[in-house]
Amino acid sequence: MATDNTAWQLEDFVDSLVVELDKTRETLAIKAINKPLTYTVKELALDLNIFPSYDGDQVRFITAQPGQQGASKVTIQLGSITDQQVRATTKIPGGKDDINIDDIAVDKTTKKRLRKLGVNSLQDLKEVDKRNVDLKKVSDNEIDYKSLANQIQKSKRDQDPPRVTAVSLSHDESGAPCLVLRGRRLAVDPAFRPVAVVNRALAEVMSSSESAMTIRIGDQHQFGRENEVIITCDPFAVVKMDVKA
Amino acid sequence: MTIDPAFLPFAGIIERLVSFRPEIVDDDAGVRSYIHTCEIELPIELDIVRDAAGHLQIGSAPPLYYVDTTFRPSFHRVRFIVQTAQHEDDGD
Repeated sequence: MATDNTAWQLEDFVDSLVVELDKTRETLAIKAINKPLTYTVKELALDLNIFPSYDGDQVRFITAQPGQQGASKVTIQLGSITDQQVRATTKIPGGKDDINIDDIAVDKTTKKRLRKLGVNSLQDLKEVDKRNVDLKKVSDNEIDYKSLANQIQKSKRDQDPPRVTAVSLSHDESGAPCLVLRGRRLAVDPAFRPVAVVNRALAEVMSSSESAMTIRIGDQHQFGRENEVIITCDPFAVVKMDVKA
Repeated sequence: MTIDPAFLPFAGIIERLVSFRPEIVDDDAGVRSYIHTCEIELPIELDIVRDAAGHLQIGSAPPLYYVDTTFRPSFHRVRFIVQTAQHEDDGD
């Protein structure tokens, strides 16, 4: 007799079934090398006697054990699919910058609501916004695209924070003093102009790139031996430094 | 957790079921035949467990005993169509 069956989700079961069928296909393909007449599995259907359960979050199934009566029936049919159909029905996997909903610092309920709407990644969310879908309306005012997008951007920036590796005092073309910061991921949002504050006085950011930032220093900054420099690279990345001259 | 030793991985059952004799030859009548399509349907017992890596393992076994017992196993049903690889390439 089999051991106690484990409760499973339909997605997990189908994944395992597909893996098993792939193994069969691989074995049969190897067999075909030496045997001219081999067979392939074209369609497969499985009628399962199961007991479903719902914990308020997920539907799980457990396969009926010997002697158990009154089970429900689930039929899973796997048919052949052409490469053309695969292309038409499969979403292109997200790029390296895409973030999974699981990795975003938003609350569990929001993640659950998003998943129900078919939004599983940052890219999915952008696609929804691109089509002018009002997430507030479809989620009964629970999800607001703008605040969610901000949380996602923040989470993305947290994973990839700015890093200042060197600060030096220099002169610009007109001979005025300026502070040159070097590092990584300093200005990553082209739509945002970085802001700098030197010794509590606003300073002009002359140029900024991902690896360098030049800040004009004037008399109002009272640049001395010990200085406080704060730069806002974008709304989610603020760097505070003590610069000694 | 591993599959009950009396059960085979699901792929194992399918592979064994499609291991047909390649050709049916009748020398006397001078006829050679082969099966090009076959539909198989059978009751099957399943043992579904989760392994150490968290993956679901599907153990399966066709009915093992022909004796009527008080506790009858729960028989699920599997149906599949197999075709010769050549047949499939032709787009039939």
